[in-house]
Amino acid sequence: MSSEKVIELKELARHFEVGGDLVKALDGVDLDIGRGEYVSLVGPSGSGKTTLFNMIGGLDRPTNGSVYIDGVDISKLDAYELAWLRCRRIGYIFQSFNLIQVLTALENVSLPTVFAGLPRDEGNEKARQLLESVGLGDRINHKPTQLSAGQQQRVAIARALANDPAIILADEPTGNLDLKTGTEIIDLLHKLNRSKGLTLVAATHDLKMIKASDRVVMMRDGRIEKIEKGEAPLNHN
Amino acid sequence: MTQVGHGRVTFSFKDAINLGFSYLRRRRDRSILNIASISLGLSFYTSLILTDMFYQTYATLGGASQSVESTYYWLVIIALIVSVVGITNAMLISVFERVREIGTMKCIGALDQHVLLLFLVEALLQGLVGGLIGYILGVGAALLSTGFTTGFNIILYVQPVRLFTIFAASLGISLILSTVATMYPAYKASKLDPVEALRYEL
Repeated sequence: MSSEKVIELKELARHFEVGGDLVKALDGVDLDIGRGEYVSLVGPSGSGKTTLFNMIGGLDRPTNGSVYIDGVDISKLDAYELAWLRCRRIGYIFQSFNLIQVLTALENVSLPTVFAGLPRDEGNEKARQLLESVGLGDRINHKPTQLSAGQQQRVAIARALANDPAIILADEPTGNLDLKTGTEIIDLLHKLNRSKGLTLVAATHDLKMIKASDRVVMMRDGRIEKIEKGEAPLNHN
Repeated sequence: MTQVGHGRVTFSFKDAINLGFSYLRRRRDRSILNIASISLGLSFYTSLILTDMFYQTYATLGGASQSVESTYYWLVIIALIVSVVGITNAMLISVFERVREIGTMKCIGALDQHVLLLFLVEALLQGLVGGLIGYILGVGAALLSTGFTTGFNIILYVQPVRLFTIFAASLGISLILSTVATMYPAYKASKLDPVEALRYEL
């Protein structure tokens, strides 16, 4: 595994004002994440995990400090460049899947390729291959409502991979799934992380998921409380 | 060395039509209501203009001279305003229903203007269909209201170019009104903050 840093957070802070009170959602976070690393973010709700995600994805601007993706300070990017970053470099996976309800599995997965400017045929072919690789080759024309929760999350994972991102941000990806389906999703993510060298950052409460990761970052009150090694060997083959 | 900060996301008019069409087809009830709203307003407009035209044609053929009372034109304007308000309302609901989806689209690379384009394209598609149906209904209504006096074949005596002009006008008005009605909802959708949008529970 290379030690090249994909994500660097430097003294990252994000403060909100809620009803006249200052809330420090992030209060000075320093963290480097290497290429191909699998990092779990854990901590009670309100500890800043989601805010941290929003920062890495360029969805929110820091009050202080900076976020570097591939060595580029993303606060220097304009709206177009941020959209490109989200489109091409980062794949999002959400707790509630967030599929577009009116689109089929295939259309959902190919949507990011539309924004990336890929020709329609290529995008559809890519989406079909990805759906096959997550085990949904026979469901490509199903709408989200015709799919089980686990299948929907697989579609969401395929969508996150559509533009070959370097980073996958997963916010409680197993939070809405039963134990068995959740385990399958964790295995799938783990496999992608190892086989494609994807950097995986996942906020989770799921013990299985935490155990599978290289590092576990524990957050509390907008700060990193401690970082522990996960159980997964860093250089396993 | 990296892709960060390079390249541009795209979302063409054609892409917007594809996606917009999926939304209209899947949310059929709302689309039909919107189209009905615009086409009823438009059919009122078309039928009045055509009724007047049929009577004029009838007069040139030697029939008794009649005309449409001018107060009806005020009613047309009111009917069109009502359909605009109805569409604005329906599109606002559509935006609220899709808050999370809009947030998701912004997460996977959509820019504000892409969301704006998507909603405006939906408006244009509805306006197009609404204008077409409105025209057809209008022709029917005008024939019904004049036919018993002038004979239903009166439409054959009207110059085709005049019928076409009214067709073009009703399509144009329909597209404009549908777009105007959707401007505020579309703007609201495009300005949604993805962070807020993804937290949104309906």
